Amino acid sequence: QAPIVIKFSHVVAQDTPKGQGAQRFKELAEKATNGRVKVEVYPNSQLYKDKEELEALQMGAVQMLAPSLSKFGPLGIREFEVFDLPYIFPSNAVLTRVTEGPIGKELFKKLEPKGITGLAYWDNGFKVMSANKPLKTTADFKGLKMRIQSSKVLDAQMRTLGANPQVLPFSEVYQALQSGVVDGGENTPSNIYTQKMYEVQKYLTTSGHGYIGYAVVVNKKFWDGLPADIRTALEAAMRDATKYANAVAQQDNEKALEAIRKSGKTTIYKLSDAEKADWRKALLPVQKQMEGRIGKDLIAAVNKEAAMQGYK
Amino acid sequence: MNALIIFVLLFALMLTGMPISISLGLTVLTFLFTMTHVPIESVALKLFTGIENFEIMAIPFFLLAGTFLTHGGVAKRMIKFATTMVGHWHGGIGLAGVIGCALFASVCGSSVATVAAIGSVVLPEMVKQGFPRKFGAGVIATSGALGILMLPSVIKVIYAVSTNTSIGALFIAGLIPGIILTAMLCLTTWNIARKNNYPRLPKASWRERWDAFRDCAWGLFLVVIVIGGIFSGIFTATEAAAMSAVYAFLVSIFVYKDMTMKGVPKVLLDSAAMSAMLLYIITNATLFSFLMTSENVPQALTEIILHMGLGTVGFLLVVNVLLLVAGNVMEPSSIILIMAPILIPVAAKLGINPIHFGIMMIVNMEVGMCHPPVGLNLYVASSITKMGITELTKAVMPWLLTMLVFLVVITYLPQITLWLPNLFYK
Amino acid sequence: MKYLDHLEEWLIASLMAMATFLIFLAVVHRYASGLPIPWVQDELIKINSSWAQELCIYMFVWMAKFGAAYGVRVGIHVGVDVLINKLSTPWRNKFIIFGLLAGAIFTGVIGTLGARFVWGIAHTDAVSADLEIPMWIVYLAVPLGSYLMSFRFLQVTWQFVKNGELPKHDHAHVDGVEDAADLEHIGAKA
Ligand code: NA
Ligand code: NA
Repeated sequence: QAPIVIKFSHVVAQDTPKGQGAQRFKELAEKATNGRVKVEVYPNSQLYKDKEELEALQMGAVQMLAPSLSKFGPLGIREFEVFDLPYIFPSNAVLTRVTEGPIGKELFKKLEPKGITGLAYWDNGFKVMSANKPLKTTADFKGLKMRIQSSKVLDAQMRTLGANPQVLPFSEVYQALQSGVVDGGENTPSNIYTQKMYEVQKYLTTSGHGYIGYAVVVNKKFWDGLPADIRTALEAAMRDATKYANAVAQQDNEKALEAIRKSGKTTIYKLSDAEKADWRKALLPVQKQMEGRIGKDLIAAVNKEAAMQGYK
Repeated sequence: MNALIIFVLLFALMLTGMPISISLGLTVLTFLFTMTHVPIESVALKLFTGIENFEIMAIPFFLLAGTFLTHGGVAKRMIKFATTMVGHWHGGIGLAGVIGCALFASVCGSSVATVAAIGSVVLPEMVKQGFPRKFGAGVIATSGALGILMLPSVIKVIYAVSTNTSIGALFIAGLIPGIILTAMLCLTTWNIARKNNYPRLPKASWRERWDAFRDCAWGLFLVVIVIGGIFSGIFTATEAAAMSAVYAFLVSIFVYKDMTMKGVPKVLLDSAAMSAMLLYIITNATLFSFLMTSENVPQALTEIILHMGLGTVGFLLVVNVLLLVAGNVMEPSSIILIMAPILIPVAAKLGINPIHFGIMMIVNMEVGMCHPPVGLNLYVASSITKMGITELTKAVMPWLLTMLVFLVVITYLPQITLWLPNLFYK
Repeated sequence: MKYLDHLEEWLIASLMAMATFLIFLAVVHRYASGLPIPWVQDELIKINSSWAQELCIYMFVWMAKFGAAYGVRVGIHVGVDVLINKLSTPWRNKFIIFGLLAGAIFTGVIGTLGARFVWGIAHTDAVSADLEIPMWIVYLAVPLGSYLMSFRFLQVTWQFVKNGELPKHDHAHVDGVEDAADLEHIGAKA
């Protein structure tokens, strides 16, 4: 009997946390189902690019993806933009409570009518700010051209800081930072390290102001059509792969930060808790501004989780 | 097996003479309808998203800039300047033609436009001065190929996008090879002219040289704008293309006044049609490489080539022969689009720098453009000189051989290509 | 028919011009808003130009889809005609008609696939990332452009069967350089 084939397509390199998570899922899933399931991983946008993969999933051209959480907004589910809000997750613990708790499940439910089933949330990590001048207080952002990914929330975040947000395609970022088309940007340490952006940025501040994550999703029709025992086995494999991917993400970010420090090309500034509180206060208005898009109740629910962890 | 069917079908369709874009698309459709489970709707999606990429937009921008430059009198001013500088040497205006091509190529992204713009100024002049027509045609048809090697080039954009390499790095990587090729072509020209004792022009005074330089400075300044703008951080490589289109428009209409506002719609329409043709090939080639990836063809071919144990030297030789053969039937952008995604993974495994590999492919494409049966440069030269293709083929031989020597040099001495981009990008 | 021709030409030429001008403005805006001029900088930063790239891409994709149809009408699409040019005229004509009809079929099929795709997208809330325009409107370029292209292929086939003539774009021809008198003038001075 021919095995069930799952085409798992993603847009990043194999050695990134997402790439390794996909690979781990492939191994676990094939082992757990005794080869009844075959997972083919297509990295590096080989099959589908960032802009087309979700449509390809919906029409059943691929079975599994792990798009960035910010990709669900344009699909018509703006609630996912909550993940882009600055300082909405003041700590990793708050994030975990959201993604593994009822809020995460509720968000995944909104995908169902689009023919998509959400399986897991994978981390890339918390973002840091970088530029060619020190960024110690939020006043330091005034007039800086900051590269962002296309997003209304990130645009508002940079404007609130007094910076000038610029949307640039990923492939142009290194050169744009080097030549000064933009002055700085925001990203996770592992992305900054693997994309060599630290070579062209003098200062970096560990602000942890925002979060980059992915949702592992499958085509709903395909998923519901699987034999129940296989689905259970795959769910278990996904749980283990998620733990693995998140651990890799955390490790990679720590290692990247250390490697950047060692390179001597970038001065790293660590925000104290008091400074972080100031930054958070300065960026809180963004939550209010975005209530109309994302939903007041959802933002309040996430903030309640934060409050339970002692963040006001 | 599937790979074989795909390629046989593609070549069979191509040889019937239908547009290359259509034969690529039909191959994909036939395959998807009959042999795989990939939903057919993904074709419609790919046809849009295949070119939904800001970097690709540099192609229409550069073509627009090129059309303004050819219409706007930039070419003839560059020739005039080159003539005052080298016209008194052996081969006088022929040398000026080579240098004119090099200057024009450094602001224009297309070989055909370079041949047309420089050729239509230089060739009639050469005939008038008593040079044999075949000499002039040989010089210009080959020197025009500098158009895709020097600085900006549409083919470089296509290569960069299909292989994920930096457009800016590819632009400047072509500068030193371009200068070397210019020198080599000049040497060949000078040598032939000396042996046959072709006419020379009276030496121009420094005053005349200065005036000619000042007159063409507006055109040359575009180099400063493009390269200076990219490296000083005023704009990205893609945006530079748009800026050069706007600048070329301003210079043509308001400075040189060689064309009027009335001519603008025609320029827009012509460059739009040319861009649309290229973008249509790109879309269908994207579709084709998507089909190959989902059939695991590049992966399998990489394995096979690596197993043959060619090593870097042998691999580069095979690639060059393969590309020269392809250059007999196809035009450069299609070759790059079909071959680069297959060859690049192997090159990467062998540790070949993608920038070097790209410039090598481009020099190879230049050779292909200068010989029949498919050689756009040759056709352009033929229509300007009213010479037959067979006669022209003989005429370009000395320069074509020079280019082949140059190809070997570029292939096996990567430092020539990589020195300048490494200076900027490391 | 004449109206359709003009509309087609007008559409692609103006998309080309507008996209170029748009990116020019966006670059100028970014450059100017980076200059530390009090008040002016604040006002400039307030102007949001992040949608310019997306709009430029969409304009060019539309330009490309309709330009490809225009290209069929003027014979700009390149093919490998080395082999068939060696054949006798009747055989060559058969291949030409085959190629044209293949073009009509391919673009017709793509038009239909595109229409089905657009229909599917129209029933979702998918919007573009920056401008937030409904995606089905954006994707409409595929069916519209492809059907027009298919129509142009049929039109060219019909004309070829009727009077044996193909529209032939001369890639070698560059206008604006045929003013020979002008050229000689320059040459004489040099
Ligand atoms: Na060039
Ligand atoms: Na050729």
